[in-house]
Amino acid sequence: MVAPLVAMVAVFLLLPMASAVYYVFVDFNGFDPTPPWIGLSNFTELAQDPDVWAAFKNNVIWIVIGTSSPIVFGLGLAVLVWNVRRASVLYRIAFFLPFVLPQVAVGVVWGWIYEPSRGWLNRVLETVGLGSLAKGWLGDPDTALYAVLGTAIWATVGFVFIIFLSALRNVDIDLVDAARLDGANGFQRLRHIILPQIMPVFLMVTTITLLGGFSVFDIIFVMTGGGPAGATEVLGTYAYSSAFQLNRISYGTTLALVITVISIPFAVWMNRLQRKLSLQGMGA
Amino acid sequence: MHIPPLKILAAAAACLLAAACTGGVPPSSDDNDSRSLKYLIEEPEDAEALKALKEDIAGFEKKSGIDVKVTTLPFDNMRTVLQTQLRSGEGPDVFSWGSGPSFGGALVKAGLVQDLTAAYDKYGWKTFDFAKERVTYDGKVYGIPGELETIGLFYNKKIFADLGLAQPRNLADLKKAAEKIRAAGKVPMAVGDKEAWEGGHLLSMALSSTIGGDGMEALFSGEKSWDSPEVTAALQLWADFNKAGYLPKSPTSVDYDTSTAMFFSGEAAMIPTGSWLVGEIDDQAKFEVGYIPFPAPDGPGIFTGGLGSGPWISATASNKEAAEKLLDFLQSEEHGRWTVENLHTIPPRPMDTADLDVSPLLTQVLKDTAKVGAGGDFGHNIDVMVSDTLSEAMYDGVQAVLTGQQSAEEVAASLKAAAEQ
Repeated sequence: MVAPLVAMVAVFLLLPMASAVYYVFVDFNGFDPTPPWIGLSNFTELAQDPDVWAAFKNNVIWIVIGTSSPIVFGLGLAVLVWNVRRASVLYRIAFFLPFVLPQVAVGVVWGWIYEPSRGWLNRVLETVGLGSLAKGWLGDPDTALYAVLGTAIWATVGFVFIIFLSALRNVDIDLVDAARLDGANGFQRLRHIILPQIMPVFLMVTTITLLGGFSVFDIIFVMTGGGPAGATEVLGTYAYSSAFQLNRISYGTTLALVITVISIPFAVWMNRLQRKLSLQGMGA
Repeated sequence: MHIPPLKILAAAAACLLAAACTGGVPPSSDDNDSRSLKYLIEEPEDAEALKALKEDIAGFEKKSGIDVKVTTLPFDNMRTVLQTQLRSGEGPDVFSWGSGPSFGGALVKAGLVQDLTAAYDKYGWKTFDFAKERVTYDGKVYGIPGELETIGLFYNKKIFADLGLAQPRNLADLKKAAEKIRAAGKVPMAVGDKEAWEGGHLLSMALSSTIGGDGMEALFSGEKSWDSPEVTAALQLWADFNKAGYLPKSPTSVDYDTSTAMFFSGEAAMIPTGSWLVGEIDDQAKFEVGYIPFPAPDGPGIFTGGLGSGPWISATASNKEAAEKLLDFLQSEEHGRWTVENLHTIPPRPMDTADLDVSPLLTQVLKDTAKVGAGGDFGHNIDVMVSDTLSEAMYDGVQAVLTGQQSAEEVAASLKAAAEQ
C-alpha cells in the first residue's frame, strides 16, 4: 500500500532533487539545453562570493530574532488568553488572523505603513512628538531588515499563539495551582510547571519557525526585493535573483541546495529532541 | 476497485518516462486550429489599455479571420517563465518583449524566435534604422522594435510660474530651481528608487546628457571605462541631490507609483522619468506639464532614448503565416496611429502625426521622438543595452549611493567589474 506514496515521493521529491543536483555541476543559463559541465565551480564561487556571506549573515539574524520573537510573544499571548472565558473566541480570531492573510498582501500593506511620508508609522511618531525617529524604514539599510522582520513576526505570532493555546488546554491545572500555593511566581510556574508539559509542542513550533528562517523569501521579496543595495538580501532572495534575474540557474540552484543542506541538521536535531522528550513522558 | 500497487508504480513510471521523453520542442499551437494565435503581452498598468487593445485586435480578427487570444503576464513573471514557455511548445505564438541583449537577444541566441528578415521584405515593414539594429543579430532581423520612449524631466509649469522659475537650461539652473522649490516647502524632484530599476534611469539620463550619445556608445563598446570620472560624477550628482533635499525623504523607500502620485498631487514639482508617463499625466495632472531633457552641466542636455517591448514570433509557432499577418497589422500605419491616440505610445518609424488627436504634451513628445528617429543625438537607457549583471550592479549601485552605503567611486568600480564579467 506504500507504492503510491513511493511513486509520489519519487515524482515530486527525489526527481526534482536529482535534477537540482545535476544543475549544480553544470553552468545552465536557462537557454542552453546542453550546458557545459563545470564540476565544483559553483561551490567554489559560492564560498568566495561576499554577497553570499552578507546574505547568510542576514539569514542568521532572521533565524535568531524571527524564531525567538514569535515564540516569546505567542507563548505570552497564549498564557494571557488561556484562562479568559469571555470573548475568548474573539481574541483567538484577532491574533490568528494575520497568519491566514497571504504573505504578499501582508507585505504590501506593511509597505504602506512604513512609507516615509504617507505611512502611518511615521505619522504616529510625529503625532506623539517622536518625529525625529521617523524615517524611510524600508529604504534605510540600518532599519530595512528589522522592519521586514517586524512584519514577519507580526504575521507569525498568531500561528504560534494558537498552537500554544491548544497545548495549554492539556496542561494539568492542579499542578499549576499547587505550585501557586507553594509560592511559585508566574515565571517560575511557566518555567517549571507549564513549559515541561508542553515541551513537544514547544519544540515543534520552534522547529517550524527555525526552518522558516532558513528558507525565508516571499515577505522580503515583496517588501524590499532584497534592497536597498542588498541590505535585506537573504540566501533565498539571492538564489532567486541569481537564477531568474541574472539567468544563472545553476548558481541559484546551488544556493538553494546549500540552504537545504544547512537546514537539515537543525530539523533532524529538533526532531530527535522532540522524540527523546516524548519517550521520557514529557509533554501535553 | 482495487488496483495493485505494482500497477500504480508501473503507471507512474510510464508517466515519468513519457514526461522525460519530451526533449523535442512541439509546435506551440494546435495544428488543427491553424487560424488561431496566442499573443502574450506584458501586463499593462492600466486595465483600460488592455481592454482597448483587445478591441483593436478584434478588428484584425474580423478582417483576417484569425482568432487571437491575448494573454498578459506581469513583467517580472514574464522574465522568468517566457523562455520555459517557448521551449515547452505550449507558449505563445507571438509575444511582446524587449529588444536588448538580455531580452530578445538572449532568446535569439537560444534559437527560440523566428527569423523575420524575409517577412520584412515581403510586407515592406519600415522602422527607424537605429531601432531595426536593436532587433538585428548576425545580420538577421528577428523582431519588430517596440514603442519609442524617451527619458527626461517632467515639470509642473504652475509651480514653476508661481515661484518665478524658468525652464532649466543647464544643470546650474536645475539646482537653483530645486533650491527654490525646496525652500517653498515642496519636493523638488519626485524620485522613487525602491524597486531599484528607477536608478537605471537616473544614471542613464544624467550620464547621457553629460557625455552624449557617442559617449554612451563608447561605454557600451568598452572604449570608455565604467569607472571614468563622468560616470562617477553622474552617480555623485544624485547623491548630492539627495543630501541637498532635492529628492523625497529616503528615496529608496519610495516606490515608482508613489513618486508619480507625488507629482500628480503637486507635492513634487518635477519627476525624472520616461515618456510612457504622458498618458497618465494627461489623465491625472490638473496642471500644465513641461518635458525637457535632463540638463547637462553646460547646456540643455539630450533625451535618453529607448525602445519598449515589441512583437516577436516564437520559433515553435505552428502557424507562422498567421503570426506574420498579426505582426503586419501591429506594424501598420493605421494601428500605429491608433496606439498614439489611445495608448499614448509611439511606434519607432516615420509616421504622419499632423492630424492626430493628442494632447499638447504628447505632441511635443512626438516631435522630440521624431528628432531621435531622424538621427538626432540621443542618449541610451543603460539597462536595455547591457548585460543583466551590469544592470543589477547599476540598480544596487544607485541605491547604495543614495543610502550612503557606498561612495560614487566604489559604485563606479563595481560597474566596471560587472562590465568586465
